[in-house]
Amino acid sequence: MEAYIKGIGIISPQKTFDTKDFLSDVVEYDTNSLRCIEPSYRDYLNPTLARRMGRIIKMGIAASSVCFKDSGIAMPDAIMTGTALGCLEDTEKFLLAIIENDEQFLTPTSFVQSTHNTVSAQIALQLKCMNYNFTYVHKGFSFESSVLDGLMTIAEGNGKNILVGGHDEMTDKYYRVCDRVNYWKKETTPTMELIKSKTEGSIAGEGAAFFMLSADKSEKDYAKLRSIKFIYKPESQKEIETRLNEMLAEKGLKPADIDVVVYGNNGDTRYDGVYDQLRDSFFSNSTSAYFKHLCGEYQTSGSFAMWVAANILKTQSVPPSILIGDKKHSQIKNVLIYNGFMGTDHAAFLLSQC
Amino acid sequence: MEELINKLKGEIIEQLNLEDVKKEDIDNDAPLFGEGLGLDSIDALELIVLLEKNYGIKVANPADGKKIFQSIRTMAQYIQDNKK
Repeated sequence: MEAYIKGIGIISPQKTFDTKDFLSDVVEYDTNSLRCIEPSYRDYLNPTLARRMGRIIKMGIAASSVCFKDSGIAMPDAIMTGTALGCLEDTEKFLLAIIENDEQFLTPTSFVQSTHNTVSAQIALQLKCMNYNFTYVHKGFSFESSVLDGLMTIAEGNGKNILVGGHDEMTDKYYRVCDRVNYWKKETTPTMELIKSKTEGSIAGEGAAFFMLSADKSEKDYAKLRSIKFIYKPESQKEIETRLNEMLAEKGLKPADIDVVVYGNNGDTRYDGVYDQLRDSFFSNSTSAYFKHLCGEYQTSGSFAMWVAANILKTQSVPPSILIGDKKHSQIKNVLIYNGFMGTDHAAFLLSQC
Repeated sequence: MEELINKLKGEIIEQLNLEDVKKEDIDNDAPLFGEGLGLDSIDALELIVLLEKNYGIKVANPADGKKIFQSIRTMAQYIQDNKK
């Protein structure tokens, strides 16, 4: 199961939209809740349709549009997205209206737009794409599931060009709810200081990222996506290392063959030990990078990580803003992403140079 | 009546998220659906709820909708005639 990443479109708290720039101008935040830098949507959406759409729907459509343009593929053979929270803003609007209006005077718009599959459905509507369309809602495995489905679809010969993506939005209410179960840091943490912090909790984030996976190789591909593994609630570090060894062995690789590892450190002392141990022992020869200080913690942050990994391979560079330590490789052939959400949903992606 | 029309325009802009439309852009007698503001069937449901929530007026017979929602002026007239 392998595929080439032919195009990418991403909206994030960094200047990532519709640009080939790779983190040369990082935006630093002094807040515990990062929000996306959104483009003007006029170029991507009919204003009549856009007026009903919540923020995440607009972000999803705009990001996927850029992905289509970047890949040169106008019509995908399938659309698969992953989201843990769906269209949260519209869901909140609808539920709040139920409470405020005593279950009366309920209007259809926010309800219609609140379902989890709205983004992939709207992308299909815009394209008039009647092909396979699926949305995975599996918390920290949502994006990863869409990628797995994309790889399987290509492997089984059911499609050549597959749009996969991950999207989740942060709202003030959701931030407060998660804060009550200690997801976030209690003290304000500057983003560039995130992994140096020695406290519990992370910083909240959001984003929408889409990738065109293709069976066919071409000159301008970013990278080759070679494998993805899910590790649910690993019981020990040994289990993680065993699973990673199996994953690499399937591709004829050893840990020492991984030039760069992109870790999901989120600055939370409860969870960062897993990454630190991998870095210190299992991948001790690899260049280390991290990304959650740039996009924040959210269930589909693996999509931001995949953008980072694909660009590391394409540009053959690791920007200083994401580097941990000073190990560097002159040629980058293999990149591994190891990311987890709140200690339960761990996933590894293996990408290689084309 | 003019005061009601002006208020109604503001409520419609807010309820239907007509971000780029200002009150003065809406012609009092232009059709709300199809041409004019270009509203559709989902908007019709929003307008029915708006009448009930903001003015306590329930559109009992759906067939009356075509006449009531012809324009801002017809809508305002309906409110004026039926407001409790």
